[in-house]
Amino acid sequence: MDPVLQQIYQLVVPSLPYVLGAYFVLWLGLMIYVAVVMSRVGKLEKQLALVEEAFSKRA
Amino acid sequence: MDRKKLTLIALATAGVLTLADLVIAFFVAAPVISNMSLDIAGVNIGGKLFANPILFSQKIFYFHVPVAITSFVVFFFTAFYGVKFLMTRDRVFDTKARIATEVTLIFTLLTMLTGDLWTRVEWNTWWVWEPRLTTYLIMLLLVIGYFVLRASVEDEEKRAVYASAFGILAFLDAPISFAITRLVPSSQHPVILRLGGGLDAWQLTAFLLGMFGMLCFGYVIYQLRYREERVRERIEVLKATLED
Repeated sequence: MDPVLQQIYQLVVPSLPYVLGAYFVLWLGLMIYVAVVMSRVGKLEKQLALVEEAFSKRA
Repeated sequence: MDRKKLTLIALATAGVLTLADLVIAFFVAAPVISNMSLDIAGVNIGGKLFANPILFSQKIFYFHVPVAITSFVVFFFTAFYGVKFLMTRDRVFDTKARIATEVTLIFTLLTMLTGDLWTRVEWNTWWVWEPRLTTYLIMLLLVIGYFVLRASVEDEEKRAVYASAFGILAFLDAPISFAITRLVPSSQHPVILRLGGGLDAWQLTAFLLGMFGMLCFGYVIYQLRYREERVRERIEVLKATLED
């Protein structure tokens, strides 16, 4: 780490690690949201494949 | 290239770039040394005098600003697809505009959260009624209003028309919010992006990683949500046909 930054974090803004932690949590939240949507899309695509199969059998 | 693969590549890129942005911004990029008069609490570190508020406000630049700019960029697509819908009356554009507004909502909320966390540390308050924050809050309310409007109109055709018109008008707040710190200088919200900003290599690297990474995130969420909607619509159509 940049030595000046390290000194600043220790002396001036001791709460900065919490802010950084919060930013990381938000980043993680974004990743989790993407994962949830991906999983929903995957399930829907499987469902679509089943419906299409039923449709082609009917036709 | 297959759109599915492109989305996955964009997701991996977004994750890596934004994480690298956070690490470089907080652990590597040098602090900005202010040359303004230090009548506020100046701090002498390593033989240099730092102006606390200016110094740390700059750190927000690497994460909060890319998120905010992404919200403006995605909101543009709400207006763009709104115009396309009104010109063609093709429902696909209404769906695209709605998804773009959803993504805008995500990034607007993220901007508010990252900003508020920072103002609490920097300005010792959760909220200040200054021009940038106020116009951005209006943008958030307009985005929420877009969904309230959609939910309140039952007729599908009318809903799409009203939502498109509202989306186009609501987007007008984005350039106002972006430019407001230049038009109405505020003592609190700094003008972050300007020509000749004088960033060093690490500072510029962190910002560009964050900017490109967040835009990739915006693209990924938009593509995934759009695919989800299209697949859902297709299933409903097929089910209805099977039931007939």
